[in-house]
Amino acid sequence: MDDDLLIAAIAAGDDTALRALFARHAPWLAARLRSALPAPDVEDVLQETFLAVWRGAGGYRPQGAAGGWLWGVARRQAALFLRRRGPAELVLPAVIAADRRHTADPAEAALSRAAIDDAVGVLGPEGSPDREVWRLMYVEDRPVAEVAELMGVPEGTVKSRAHRARRLLRAALGGGPVAGGTR
Amino acid sequence: MNIELTDLTRRFGRTYAVAGVSMEAGPGVFGLLGPNGAGKTSLLRMMATVLPPTSGRLRLLGRDPGSPGPRREIRRRLGYLPQSLGYYPGFTVAEFVEYFALLKDMPPGRVPRAVAAAVEQVGLGDKAKAKLRTLSGGMLRRAGIAQAIVNDPDLLLLDEPTAGLDPEQRVAFRAILRGLGERATVVVSTHLVEDVGAACSQVALMDAGKVVFDGTPGELIARGEGSGAAGDAPLERGYSAVLAAARSVPATRSAAGTPPGPETWA
Amino acid sequence: MTDEGVNGEAIFSRNSANWTEPDGLVLSPPDVDLSRVWTGVAAEVWRRRPGPAEWLAARLLRSPGLARALVTTPSLLLGWLIATLIVLAAGAAATLGTGTPYVALFAPAVAGAGIAYAYGPGIDPAWELSQSTAVSDRMVLLVRALAVFGLNAAAGLAAAAASGVSGSAAAVTFGWLVPMTAVCALALAAATVSRSANVGVAAGMSGWAITVLAGQVSAGRLTAAFANSLLLPYLAFAACCGAVAWYATRIPRGAS
Repeated sequence: MDDDLLIAAIAAGDDTALRALFARHAPWLAARLRSALPAPDVEDVLQETFLAVWRGAGGYRPQGAAGGWLWGVARRQAALFLRRRGPAELVLPAVIAADRRHTADPAEAALSRAAIDDAVGVLGPEGSPDREVWRLMYVEDRPVAEVAELMGVPEGTVKSRAHRARRLLRAALGGGPVAGGTR
Repeated sequence: MNIELTDLTRRFGRTYAVAGVSMEAGPGVFGLLGPNGAGKTSLLRMMATVLPPTSGRLRLLGRDPGSPGPRREIRRRLGYLPQSLGYYPGFTVAEFVEYFALLKDMPPGRVPRAVAAAVEQVGLGDKAKAKLRTLSGGMLRRAGIAQAIVNDPDLLLLDEPTAGLDPEQRVAFRAILRGLGERATVVVSTHLVEDVGAACSQVALMDAGKVVFDGTPGELIARGEGSGAAGDAPLERGYSAVLAAARSVPATRSAAGTPPGPETWA
Repeated sequence: MTDEGVNGEAIFSRNSANWTEPDGLVLSPPDVDLSRVWTGVAAEVWRRRPGPAEWLAARLLRSPGLARALVTTPSLLLGWLIATLIVLAAGAAATLGTGTPYVALFAPAVAGAGIAYAYGPGIDPAWELSQSTAVSDRMVLLVRALAVFGLNAAAGLAAAAASGVSGSAAAVTFGWLVPMTAVCALALAAATVSRSANVGVAAGMSGWAITVLAGQVSAGRLTAAFANSLLLPYLAFAACCGAVAWYATRIPRGAS
């Protein structure tokens, strides 16, 4: 059955559709997550991911891009998981990097993590506006509206700070291995 | 030792359904073979603490099921699938397995995961929320197996578990048995001889309330070789040979009402 | 969704637009146990959440299994309860009309039927299996019988009060509780001995009918069955039947 149909069935409460979706997509999701997280954490995040799919299937708009949506859910769950666990700035960027390149080599993943960790310093000291925006939006994966409320600034300000943070980080990472992400 | 039987008997009226059985079993898969009326079901029911013995000593999981306290402890660690298991038509598979998980005193926090694992293990993952009245006979049997294994029992008693299962399901079932037999004592009572050979490390053959053979499947096969006994497969020939030998010997202990008769298994 | 101002680069995009669907088989990492993950998902998706009655019963009885057995009692299911209330309400209405205490006459019979259908081999398809569970079938029987009795008594009392019988007839209004106990005990004993709920119902109803008719014949009124002098005999009879039921549930019988 087509993924879109499966997700629609899940939204209607069909648990066998969830089972089919799991069988089809859990393996590659696990592989993706594994490049950034240790195996037990992958299991926890994957479980939370599919429970989130079960609860939130109604919010999926069929575009034939079920895989992307699922990965989005998985990333969000990974962020929540890491947030519950404590400071996540080291590991989550590697999850983001997994978006671009499926890093099966743990050494390379570590290099990505280290590079991003160094680069983040270019945003300023902890607590500075750009650093805060980076932390709230990309480490803790919160939506723009929530970040704006938390920081007490308009959404437009949040977006422009995020843009500046990305520009600074891209420049800082320009010479490193993750530069492969820039086309 | 999870099962220790010493000279166990069970009498109904004047008939001895079980006429003096002694056996010991630790972890592993044990087959209980025999024709209809041999006493397999009565023996199994005694081990399931459903039927008290008339005489003899019975110890299960190191406890005496005669007293209520130890009996309850045994039952928490017990899994039982009777020969004919009724079902509640309005229950779903998951509800059915969960019901017996709760009746076996499983801590409620552990129940959902245990139910999910048991349902998946018997291959009913697609039917977890289907009502029992919509299931075929083989699926109902598998639901019965699921409730028996849900509490990860130390003592698992299965009476004709593969009735209604197709060959592929029986293979899957034997794999479950082997896995469980690594830590638990599994007793499978069946009249399907081939089932026993594939999964059991030890086989007992009962006739007229007594155990007439107790050994490995290989030894049972050996008894059948060269004896000219009936049977299409080595185990069946061993089975026939042992029964014939047992019945040609006059009964020494009073097994009243059960004279030797012609072989009558279906 | 990519962030504005970025030239097609999406390294920090929140919904990754640069994800590409892997073609061909992707094997999951060998150290990730996907079946364990699915078991965790299924546990949440398939779980049943107990209702408030069951939750309360679990705390009072200190046994979730017993509570679940209680709320699944066949004669406590909604359909049965509604039928009971209808019968008693009809009795109340009839009493208001004719003055004959129909509630008092109906309640024991209805309760007896409810008790017989609470538990037992005739009504529980998985009877054999329930005899091997840690929560003993006798406990289930006891709890269910008490619950059915209690509910029937409460419903009967409400119906009797609603039927507006005056104070002098209060003995009749409430004096049927003891006969009801006896009828229920009879139904229970018959059901457990014969291993059939239907036999239990038949025994309870016919026993009660005979008692009432005997009262009618000997003393000329239907309410003779509620005489105070019969209180002790009723209770003694109930105790005997209780003992029989107790004994019948102790020794499982049946062919080999």
